[in-house]
Amino acid sequence: MMPVWFSLSLKFLFIGFVAVSVGLWLGATAGWAVACLGLALLHAVHVYQLARLQRWLQSPKVEYLPDPWGAWGEVFAGIYRALRYEARKHDAVDKELELFTQAAQALPDGIAMLDSGDQLLWCNDTAAAHLGLQTGRDYGLRLTNIVRVPRLAAFLQSASPEETLDYRPAHNAGQLLSFKAIPFSDGRKLLVSFDITKIERADTTRRDFIANVSHELRTPLTVIHGFLEHMSDAPVMPAEQARRHIALMVQQSDRMLKLVDDLLMLSRLEGGDSPQREERVDIAVLLQGLAEDTRALSAGRHTIELTVDDGAAITGSTDELRSAFGNLASNAVRYTPQGGTVALQWRIDEQHRGLFSVRDTGIGIAAEHIPRLTERFYRVDRGRSRETGGTGLGLAIVKHVLLRHQATLEIQSEPGEGSEFRIVFPPWRSVLEAPLAQADAA
Amino acid sequence: MPNSEHTSKQFDADLEDIRSRVLQMGGLVELQLTAAIEGLTTGSEEIIARVIETEHRVNDYEKEIDDACVHVVARRQPAASDLRMIMAVSKIVTDLERMGDEAEKIARMARSIYGRGALTIPRSIDVRQTGTKAALMLRRVLDALARLDTTEAEKVIAEGKLIDTEFRGIMRQLITFMMEDPRTITTALDIVWIAKSIERVGDHAENIAEQVIYIVDGIDIRHTGSPPVTPAGENI
Repeated sequence: MMPVWFSLSLKFLFIGFVAVSVGLWLGATAGWAVACLGLALLHAVHVYQLARLQRWLQSPKVEYLPDPWGAWGEVFAGIYRALRYEARKHDAVDKELELFTQAAQALPDGIAMLDSGDQLLWCNDTAAAHLGLQTGRDYGLRLTNIVRVPRLAAFLQSASPEETLDYRPAHNAGQLLSFKAIPFSDGRKLLVSFDITKIERADTTRRDFIANVSHELRTPLTVIHGFLEHMSDAPVMPAEQARRHIALMVQQSDRMLKLVDDLLMLSRLEGGDSPQREERVDIAVLLQGLAEDTRALSAGRHTIELTVDDGAAITGSTDELRSAFGNLASNAVRYTPQGGTVALQWRIDEQHRGLFSVRDTGIGIAAEHIPRLTERFYRVDRGRSRETGGTGLGLAIVKHVLLRHQATLEIQSEPGEGSEFRIVFPPWRSVLEAPLAQADAA
Repeated sequence: MPNSEHTSKQFDADLEDIRSRVLQMGGLVELQLTAAIEGLTTGSEEIIARVIETEHRVNDYEKEIDDACVHVVARRQPAASDLRMIMAVSKIVTDLERMGDEAEKIARMARSIYGRGALTIPRSIDVRQTGTKAALMLRRVLDALARLDTTEAEKVIAEGKLIDTEFRGIMRQLITFMMEDPRTITTALDIVWIAKSIERVGDHAENIAEQVIYIVDGIDIRHTGSPPVTPAGENI
């Protein structure tokens, strides 16, 4: 790159050289005239370039930068480079800012930036939904003007990172939000909002569960306790009466045992995602045993039918499946009046899915109860369930066993007509062409 | 107002502060109203007592904001949109204060109904629905005031007519109720008062919506029947 002073000096030297040559040739006056003319020309060129630069500076745009020759060209090229550098840096900063905005937007929690006067500077979509704001349009408005809850205004006044505010938004009463206000640079605040609806619901469920368990255990305990008290008050009692009391106490303690067993089973099932031991479950053998148990439970009051298709084996946990199938079968017996039929069926459908179904001709279930049947302690008719000896946990156990086997439960029922509970296993659990089963049969 | 330039920054701050306080007052009235309706449906003495107790805070707000308005007018002599804002605010505050009174009235009525030992209230579901609708109207009109959104204000005005219709429906049902069983007349009359209060709340919300339009456009649409742009057949 040629320095400006060098190029200018060269031009001066050239003009001087020409002027001296002319002066020597045509006389001093002619020489001076040529020097003046040369300098004037040089000056004019520079003034013109300066004017272009000034005009361009009024609205400097890289693409309209003039492109002159000589020393000016170098100057303009320098400006052009500097501008390009700035523009690139600007782009990079813009991109980074955009990245940060996108990251803040992607956060699962609501983020709203407030200035020292609680005016909204920016918020992500989650915060907008939580607070009922319109992104963009509400920027610059005071947050407390839109969210007019007296508690929020007081909360923002005393912003400290430790405090939280729980709030049910007026525009969405089912939701429970938790706010945190975190002060940052110069009195600005970051308002973070979390949706704690689920946590609250889980809390309620847990409380309900404990209350239910306590209640279920208390009922039989009250009976036993009552008899024991009676016996300690009147130690001498006719043998017949004592026997009756003891029989009732045994019955109640059985109930408690069954309940505690079911609870332990449930907590064990909830512990893991899939059966600890995947084994080959021979459905035919399992169902034979199940049918016998069911007949024993029914004690001749119902007709128990069993149909098992061939190729009846799947992988899974025998104990867990026996418990799940057993719960469905005993439910069918308990909710079917005397003389009814309970049909147990196993088959493999065209998609190679294993299907186990229990169909009864019992009292049936109204449609509104069906979605809630697998909830713990959910009972369609409290009195009836207890009188038939249910713990209220049977279908919850079934649900958990099926979850661990990636199977689904389908329930069809018509009040007064009967119900069908069907378990559908995923196709990959079916053991097809089971050679062992055939060998056993042979 | 955020988009107007004033030589004094303090003036801007004063105006914004007044608007902010009006909206805070509105938020409180909205809470009072929903609580009163909840008290009416649940009969919870705790909620009813709280509504009646909190009523004085609404009144305090009214006095405070009126004072602030007078101060701004005296010291700054506002003109144009600022003056409209101040004038409208002092009217809105009156409306809000009356709404607060109506909420208190509903709570007192609820107390007297439950105090008489009535366990069920005739038409209570309709009353609650209309009340919730009126509270929603209030919330929307306050949103419109915060955002200076005239479209929303116009929608609120249109909705006010729905509340009037529902009020007449409740009246008719109550009349048949009283004719069937004269023993319910005392309670039914209380319900009439409550329904009337709710209907008044709707009217006040409409007034506020008119003031929002006045602030933004400078047009007074009171007593002209309908907002400037309304689809035909709306005012049946």
